[in-house]
Amino acid sequence: MTDKRILVAMSGGVDSSVTAALLKEAGYQVIGATMKTFCYQGTPSHSRTCCGLDGIMDARQVAERLEIPHYVFDVEEEFTRDVIDDFVEEYGRGRTPNPCVQCNSRTKFGDLLRRGRALGCDGIATGHYVRSGPGPRGEASLFRGRDRDKDQAYFLWGLSPELLPMLHFPLGGLTKSQVRERARKMGLVTADKPESQEICFVPTGDYRDLLKKRLQPRHPALEPGRIVDMEGTEVGQHDGYAGFTVGQRKGLGGGFSEPHYVIEIRPERREVVVGPREALESTAIEVNDLNWLHGPPVPDTEVQIQVRHRAAPVAARIGETDDGVLTLELARPQEAVTPGQSCAVFDDDRLLGGGRILRALRRSPVDAVGLS
Amino acid sequence: MEGLRFSPASIPTKLGVPHASANPNQASPLYDIYLDHAAATPLRPQVRKAMAEAEEQAGANPSGVHRRGREARRTLERARGRMGELLGVSSRCIYFVRGGTEANNLAVLGRADRVRTGGSPPLMVSTPVEHSSVRGAVERVARDHGSEASLPVQPSGQVEASALRELLDRGPALVSIQRVNHETGSVLSVPRVVRACREREIPLHSDMVQAVGRIALGDPDLLPDLVSFSAHKLGGPRSMGALVVKDRDLLVPRLFGGGQEGGLRPGTEDAIGAAGFAAALELALNDLPEEASRLGALRQELEEGLREKIPELVVHGSEGPRAPHILNVGVPGLSPDLLPRALDLEGIAASAGSACRSGSTTMSPVLAGFYGAERAASVAPLRLSLGWTTAPEDIQRAMEIIPDVVERVRSAMRTTNKPHRP
Repeated sequence: MTDKRILVAMSGGVDSSVTAALLKEAGYQVIGATMKTFCYQGTPSHSRTCCGLDGIMDARQVAERLEIPHYVFDVEEEFTRDVIDDFVEEYGRGRTPNPCVQCNSRTKFGDLLRRGRALGCDGIATGHYVRSGPGPRGEASLFRGRDRDKDQAYFLWGLSPELLPMLHFPLGGLTKSQVRERARKMGLVTADKPESQEICFVPTGDYRDLLKKRLQPRHPALEPGRIVDMEGTEVGQHDGYAGFTVGQRKGLGGGFSEPHYVIEIRPERREVVVGPREALESTAIEVNDLNWLHGPPVPDTEVQIQVRHRAAPVAARIGETDDGVLTLELARPQEAVTPGQSCAVFDDDRLLGGGRILRALRRSPVDAVGLS
Repeated sequence: MEGLRFSPASIPTKLGVPHASANPNQASPLYDIYLDHAAATPLRPQVRKAMAEAEEQAGANPSGVHRRGREARRTLERARGRMGELLGVSSRCIYFVRGGTEANNLAVLGRADRVRTGGSPPLMVSTPVEHSSVRGAVERVARDHGSEASLPVQPSGQVEASALRELLDRGPALVSIQRVNHETGSVLSVPRVVRACREREIPLHSDMVQAVGRIALGDPDLLPDLVSFSAHKLGGPRSMGALVVKDRDLLVPRLFGGGQEGGLRPGTEDAIGAAGFAAALELALNDLPEEASRLGALRQELEEGLREKIPELVVHGSEGPRAPHILNVGVPGLSPDLLPRALDLEGIAASAGSACRSGSTTMSPVLAGFYGAERAASVAPLRLSLGWTTAPEDIQRAMEIIPDVVERVRSAMRTTNKPHRP
């Protein structure tokens, strides 16, 4: 038994349920907290989304089972401002956002820390598949989870460094099947709950419904426009560039022998540029909105970067940072580096930080496209 | 609330539990300090005894034509009669319902339907500080087929006489004003409204759920036409309420069925609950003068102690008369959802406002009604409410714990305000 009190973010899913259970087993005083992030009116009751009202009920039930106090906190206002508005604006700009990163960076962890301190907690915990522990100089650091299929370090590059010593990730050393096994053994109601895949505030799975509701009427992102090839020749029409993501394979009907991919979105002209797969390759990336967990790495440092969830890490070299924009030189060309997505920077398994992808730089022949 | 257990035996022994050992992980937390009596007050042992006795006689349906049915009927009517005596009204005016919310809904919606079936769209007048069960019903009427108008109240609990006159000139179907506010304990100037409404023969409803047993209700002749009561705020059973209806013709029913309770509240009567209600009311009114002064003194001690240690503390409702059991304080700049939870972890049960909107972090409409939206938005309310289990030691300990927790919450909010914005 310890006097240490820990606030655990409980979504109602199996991961955070087991997190709370493991900490309780380890003798901590565990407090469960569920963030109510958006208005659930209109959410289908069968929604699999982990943070829906069902999620709150499940979390409460698990907390009761574990005999720990459980509180629901309403963070709707902050979540709407920091996550949903950003999500909508990014699509409006022709980019592809990472709302989970925004939530972790701006809402979830900062809020947990604040509430945790207010509740007299010594630490905060979540069910992310990442590990926390000392770095090479003993400093509190984050590492990829042992279960490489579930590793979620990618989503945490935006955390405030001051949080690091407070964080507990009990699932970092476990696999998903071990977690489910533990949940079943403990008799948790959430043991066999399906994975949540959708974006929590898009329960229908179609984010364009949300954009239609939240972008101003006749926003260019939802207006028809041209699909052009790399020479600028019109090859088709689209009904709103917000429906496209760079790297997405785009069927263009008859007449084209090769598959086409979205190479670029030009919001100012409402154009979607398509081209062959090799046109997606980039050799360097510009990243802004930078955040570093242990201070900015010096230029020429060799690092590994990850440009989307579940993508394999790629060797890269830290370049110059100019006016808040860092250039990363890639060791090998990468496909589908998507503006708006996160670029997480690692030293082996250790998370150093990251930023948002501003644009991909493509050395010939694609430069001719005039990447904006 | 299942984890909460109150028994008479636990009251003295809990004083020996040092609060520092309050461990939130314990299987059945027995709160050291229960300061949420305005939300629910534990069943009083004498009430439990009265209900156990009633249970032996009233196991049957009071509408049964057999001996057992007549016994149940007798229990029910005896309770109704006792309540009438205690409240100073005819027992025929007492209609049992399933709680304060139902009483308030029946008064507002039943009155609106009555006026509408008479051919005119009902205008409902109420104050902005009413309980959500009145506000919600009034809003419903306004949405459906009528309209609403707000009668402003000052922080002192006084209604503005000129505003009242103007509203009464419009011939409302009903005026609804509570006697004691459920969040601040403010005593509203209902007798003045009674007189004004009588002069013009306008029906008046008053929600007295928090008032009865806490303040003297005064001359029974000055009771409004419709009055709501709830048993469990008095140490009686849950799901038991009463609506005093002086004139049955004021209302039409909202529920339909077997015609029980004069047709106003159909459904099998709860004779055992009624017996508990009557017992709780009798106890509360018998104890009233002593208990009110005891709780008033404890409340004052708590208020002074907190003011001393938290200089910027705001006390809501202190501008006018207050019922003795509620202390509503505010700390500027704190988020309203954190303080009650932080106190919970230190063994103090309290709430941010009315329990009926707990979990919500939106501004209290009650405070907005008394003080305006700006002040209501800037101050996090904490309602500490006292009752029959409250001992002087509870207050002493609360005075020690609350300032520390307030400081901790405040410093947490100060030091980590949005650390990072990528």
